Amino acid sequence: MSSRTMGTRVLDKRGSFFKLIDTIASEIGELKQEMVQTDVSLENGLESAEPYSMVRHKGDGYSEEKDTKAYPRDSGYDSLSNRLSILDQLLHTHPIWLQLSLSEEGAAQILQSQPPGIFLVRKSTKMQKKVLSLRLPCEFGAPLKDFPIRESTYTFSLEGSGISFADLFRLIAFYCISRDVLPFTLKLPYAISTAKTEAQLEELAQLGINFWSSPADSQPPNPPPPHRPLSSDGACPGSHQLCLINGVHSIKTRTPSELECSQSNGALCFINPLFLKVHSQDLSGSLPRPNTRIPSVNGTERPRSPPPRPPPPFINSLRTSPQLPRTQTQASMPETANHNKQEAGAVPGAKPTPIPPPRLKKQASFLEAEGGAKTLTGSRPGSGCWPIPSLEPELSTAGSAGGAPPSEAQGSCTKSQPPCSESQPPWNGGRQRLSDMSISTSSSDSLEFDRSMPLFGYEVDTNSSLEDYEGESDQETMPPPIKSKKRSSSFVLPKIVKSQLRKMSGVFSSFMTPEKRMVRRIAELSRDKCTYFGCLVQDYVSFLQENKECHVSSTDLLQTIRQFMTQVKNYLAQSSELDPPIESLIPEDQIDVVLEKAMHKCILKPLKGHVETMLKDFHVADGSWKQLKDNLQLVRQRNPQELGVFAPTPDFVDVEKIKVKFMTMQKMYSPEKKVMLLLRVCKLIYTVMGNNSGRMYGADDFLPVLTYVIAQCDMLELDTEIEYMMELLDPSLLHGEGGYYLTSAYGALSLIKNFQEEQAARLLSSETRDTLRQWHKRRTTNRTIPSVDDFQNYLRVAFQDVSSGCTGKTLLVRPYITTEDVCQLCAEKFKVRDPEEFSLFLFVDETWQQLAEDTYPQKIKAELHSRPQPHIFHFVYKRVKNHPYGVIFHNGEEDLTTA
Amino acid sequence: MMAIRELKVCLLGDTGVGKSSIVCRFVQDHFDHNISPTIGASFMTKTVPCGNELHKFLIWDTAGQERFHSLAPMYYRGSAAAVIVYDITKQDSFHTLKKWVKELKEHGPENIVMAIAGNKCDLSDIREVPLKDAKEYAEFIGAIVVETSAKNAINIEELFQGISYKGLLARRPQLVALSLTMLCCCSLTNPSEVESRFLLHHLFSVCKIC
Repeated sequence: MSSRTMGTRVLDKRGSFFKLIDTIASEIGELKQEMVQTDVSLENGLESAEPYSMVRHKGDGYSEEKDTKAYPRDSGYDSLSNRLSILDQLLHTHPIWLQLSLSEEGAAQILQSQPPGIFLVRKSTKMQKKVLSLRLPCEFGAPLKDFPIRESTYTFSLEGSGISFADLFRLIAFYCISRDVLPFTLKLPYAISTAKTEAQLEELAQLGINFWSSPADSQPPNPPPPHRPLSSDGACPGSHQLCLINGVHSIKTRTPSELECSQSNGALCFINPLFLKVHSQDLSGSLPRPNTRIPSVNGTERPRSPPPRPPPPFINSLRTSPQLPRTQTQASMPETANHNKQEAGAVPGAKPTPIPPPRLKKQASFLEAEGGAKTLTGSRPGSGCWPIPSLEPELSTAGSAGGAPPSEAQGSCTKSQPPCSESQPPWNGGRQRLSDMSISTSSSDSLEFDRSMPLFGYEVDTNSSLEDYEGESDQETMPPPIKSKKRSSSFVLPKIVKSQLRKMSGVFSSFMTPEKRMVRRIAELSRDKCTYFGCLVQDYVSFLQENKECHVSSTDLLQTIRQFMTQVKNYLAQSSELDPPIESLIPEDQIDVVLEKAMHKCILKPLKGHVETMLKDFHVADGSWKQLKDNLQLVRQRNPQELGVFAPTPDFVDVEKIKVKFMTMQKMYSPEKKVMLLLRVCKLIYTVMGNNSGRMYGADDFLPVLTYVIAQCDMLELDTEIEYMMELLDPSLLHGEGGYYLTSAYGALSLIKNFQEEQAARLLSSETRDTLRQWHKRRTTNRTIPSVDDFQNYLRVAFQDVSSGCTGKTLLVRPYITTEDVCQLCAEKFKVRDPEEFSLFLFVDETWQQLAEDTYPQKIKAELHSRPQPHIFHFVYKRVKNHPYGVIFHNGEEDLTTA
Repeated sequence: MMAIRELKVCLLGDTGVGKSSIVCRFVQDHFDHNISPTIGASFMTKTVPCGNELHKFLIWDTAGQERFHSLAPMYYRGSAAAVIVYDITKQDSFHTLKKWVKELKEHGPENIVMAIAGNKCDLSDIREVPLKDAKEYAEFIGAIVVETSAKNAINIEELFQGISYKGLLARRPQLVALSLTMLCCCSLTNPSEVESRFLLHHLFSVCKIC
């Protein structure tokens, strides 16, 4: 390459452009050749991959004989070791299908040339949310359709579906094997689904969006039936009509027996490790396992469990019967062979009791998780998996045996794809990655728990994470902050599951919330000096520790740190350093919260000690330390009345309690947690004030009491604590109670500092007020880019009605309020009698757009504000004209709710 | 459908020369008369099309104050390009610029693209640094040079465009040479485009390297 460059340059020198062009032409020729070569090598790859792909596609019912012929001796190991689960495939290739910044046109352009079932995930600017853009077959009219992805605070789900996932990858993986609310299952590009190794996937991923236009994105040599999902049910022609009625899919119920049939195909198992115990208990009374397996392979009747389930519909037995024997005859095929092998190997040991003893089980589930992790880091031979298979078939059967949560099984029945799952050939890692794929529907507990399923199944160090988890809680065990308290209360866990949870310490780490996982990952990244981010953080930390003279005051020091955290947060959110992107793992409204936590952990945690010493040094140097010390003694000797306290004060015991809280606060590095403790102290003081008198006291009475309490606690360090919190707390948190009580505490301390005997100590000195004002201004106006926060509290809405013309009102709203809620508010405010006739519209660029119910007007507003050219826009609440449906998506976005 | 390429850019220069204003103008197309000095550094992004790809600028705007000087290596270390800004009305700031260039040559990444921006060109009547000086110096060190005004939005886009192309050039000399050739042909008929000016500039720098 360099010699060529030189050549170019030499030619250049001669100034002969024609020769230059010549060189370039030859260059391009060479490049082309290179490309052809890769193409060839790729084809080679494909050829060798073919067996696997065929095995995978066996459900399609094509060329099975060829399969058996070509691979008569395949014992299943080879293929097992070479297989990558869908989740792995998705994780490795997200630069290809996850295109958040892609426009609608861009998506259309890419998908146009793709077969049906191929998809992209992008962010729709119109809807202000992520969408799954799916290529449709021609029968559907439109070439593609966008399915909005709903992000709740903790989960991702497709609009209209009741199934939620911890992250995007899990969501997509699920829809690759089950269609749920989609017309058919998703399909991965041929090159991805046939890639055998991670290296191959990585290579494809390198192409990024160019994959779609590159020769790598080739079609299979013998393309399988083009529209597999709909025409897939070769075994039961009748179901075709069922699937497609007027181009709209009808929901097909799926009995548990159908589920099993899919399992014997190795297609998909619904397993939630949480129900391990539950299942096994149920099962322990039922038939021994060999019995449960064999019939399921053999025929339509399944004598396994007494029937709490409905009998399979007729069509079903039609479908299963021809298929199952087929599976059996293909004993040489990896999947089945594998099954048999595993059973042969593992069953004898477990025969008397189908459930392994608890210890073994624990180990097994741990191994399972680990196995899941390893499948990604290096294809591992089946040997390590031995303990698992012995468990898994059982688990899978248990899952559908109507064991623990019947609702779960039922839910998946009604929701998911017709059973045989012929349409999901690429799913092959399902068996190894059950723990990762736990998906449940209706039951609230499992739904919640889906969230805490292993998120980074691909992280290797399952062991270390446990320690880390403990280390997470800020140096000392502390009751979780209010927020997480709320969350934990929403966990509706059956007791049995809870105890199960405790027992499974081996896999405990995998139950970390995605949030914790993310924080941990960022913290790990921050220690890795090979990354730009790691370098930044490490350099900054050591810079601060080494350059003490750099900062002129304590405020200056803390401000610099806060600024650094904010900017690095920006960097992480906007660069591609986090891989996979944070948007795919954390719902959008949580990203900032998660990043803030991560910043605390990777910046404040190592700096805490240093910052404290520095702060103290500054205070000692400017004399305020001594001043506070002297005055504290003075104030302590005063009785409450002299401090302006006219409310009951905490007694000795309460003061001790408060002191303990303050001491705990000192040990925290996170300003957020510190503030949480401060709030608790304040609450306690209020309680004491109210309790002893029965009177309600207001803010005016509070400050003197707080002053008194702080003096009684006699902790000089509180001064630096308050400063630490005031300057380092996330600016967005300063608006709430946190900001209020921080100001109070600051006021109380400055009262003490400035306490003089003759002074009626109830008023803040003007200096203090001034400082506070400046602080507030600084902390709240420092942000340059408009964000939701800036407009979070108010929304101006105009009301248009024939009778009253146009009126406007400013509504007080939450930042993430949905259009639906705004409409409700408007209906009240504008006294609309028939609110169902009205809707919220956005008028911008001379066009009207009706906002969908679950869009966020405040986010739209923020987005409009942050555009370089200011746009004039209005939110208007007005009558929806003659539209038969409730909601239309603006500008030709298809009406999804009516589909 | 275009691939996105990330370009880390960092702004260096004396305090008060207008680094943040340049970034603010580029990213938000906005100018604030009462901007306060940057603390540490601030981060912003902007995506612009360049050729057949999108360039996403990840911009670190560093603090010019001397006390933050030792923080700068953190930001320029991983950067693809550095914009070194001086104030055309302050000779001192041009000296500081030279110091920055020297530091970058010694400690910066090997192939860092350097761009020199003489800001506040709207105040050319009180100019202290002649454009000629800057041009000569830039040529000497192989940097892009342009006089800008964040206030009047002069040459801000062009500055970053130049970085884009120069970055492109560093990666794919042949391709850029091709486009240059074509542009040269075009410029015979329509020689006014700013882009072609930049491309020509690069072409010359390529020639000079050989």
